[in-house]
Amino acid sequence: MNKKAQMICLMGAVAMGILMTVGWWLLARFVPPPLPGASAADIALMFRENANGIRTGMVLMIAGAGCFMPFIAVISAQMKRMENGPPVLAYTQLLGGSMSVMIILVPILLWTTAAYRPERGDEIIRTLNDLAWFLVAMTYSPAIIQNLSIGMAILGDRNPKRIIPRWVAYMNFWLALLFLPAGLMTYFKTGPFAWNGLLAFWLPLVVFAIWFNIMIYMLYKAIKEQPDA
Amino acid sequence: MQREPIETQDHGAASAGEKYRQSHTPGETGIWVFIMGDMMVFALFFLVFVFYRAENTALFQASQATLNTHYGTFNTLLLLTSSWFVVMATNGVRKNLRRQAATLYGLAFLCGAGFSLIKVVEYREKIQAGFGLTTNDFYMYYYIFTGLHFVHVIIGMAVLVALIHKSLSGLREPGDLALIEGGASYWHMVDVLWIILFPLLYLMK
Repeated sequence: MNKKAQMICLMGAVAMGILMTVGWWLLARFVPPPLPGASAADIALMFRENANGIRTGMVLMIAGAGCFMPFIAVISAQMKRMENGPPVLAYTQLLGGSMSVMIILVPILLWTTAAYRPERGDEIIRTLNDLAWFLVAMTYSPAIIQNLSIGMAILGDRNPKRIIPRWVAYMNFWLALLFLPAGLMTYFKTGPFAWNGLLAFWLPLVVFAIWFNIMIYMLYKAIKEQPDA
Repeated sequence: MQREPIETQDHGAASAGEKYRQSHTPGETGIWVFIMGDMMVFALFFLVFVFYRAENTALFQASQATLNTHYGTFNTLLLLTSSWFVVMATNGVRKNLRRQAATLYGLAFLCGAGFSLIKVVEYREKIQAGFGLTTNDFYMYYYIFTGLHFVHVIIGMAVLVALIHKSLSGLREPGDLALIEGGASYWHMVDVLWIILFPLLYLMK
């Protein structure tokens, strides 16, 4: 039964991937991101012209963010198997993941607020949009802590048969470093380190997508090979 | 493989070392996922830099002229020397010369500390002279690339402390040598990244 529950939780990740892609990308059209340097009038126009697309996209994204939670739980459940004694790394990952869900949910509601009364002042809409982007793209520390704790748990695994291969640990460390440039977007409105930039947005997004898929596959294998309790 | 601690300079350590030399990939394979991934990202950084430089060569050259090449050169020497210490130290570990290895890792650590000190002095000078992160594109790349590299150096110094500790306790488990080699490979990567970063920022004509 437990293995079945874990598999269902793991499928949450797949649901999240689909809901986020459709909601964020196709409906709200937030990928590629609106220009950080755009005028208030341009940003407001974007919300006015696509108000219903953004509203619907956000409804789907709320569902997607929820589906992220069971996936985080599966990661911690498998990490707990790797740790001897108090599963402090599994807890850390769980907290990092919970914060990640929060920093997705809050900006969704800010975008929703902006699209709710698109007739309000341009400057207010732009402020809501700025706030949403900083929350979702700049808040790098929960993700980094998550990656580091996953990596450390994998390296510390002393089970005779490893639960997740060691190279996945190093991939997690690599990802942790990649999230660092996100902290720089506060300084720039154009260029590679702005929130729509190659190095602050696209690179982390692509690598996150790779990480996400590899983690799903590795967890799937780990659950399948887990001995029945 | 042997699991008991190796107390003296015996055949166990030597043969483990030889086996490693034959297998030829230093460290465990996993660390290379990290090293290659990280180098790929820096390669992308460098491409971005060269691309934007070509669009505004005059500005980049003028800003480059305000950098102090002496600091950069000295730091390059420090990192190269530290890498040499790390190579010697890792050879020492293979031969189970624990104290010697730990001392050499310690010297590499001091090189890293020297590098950091100079970096801080250099940043201070630049900021006092009015060159900040948002002064222009050149300085944006200068601060971000050297800053991210600096983060690597700090992590590397923590790794070196771990290597000092590990080399003092000797090779106890089959994975120990791989761990030490992995740490050493990381430090070499930090060195290699600087060797590309230095001419790109300070010297490129």
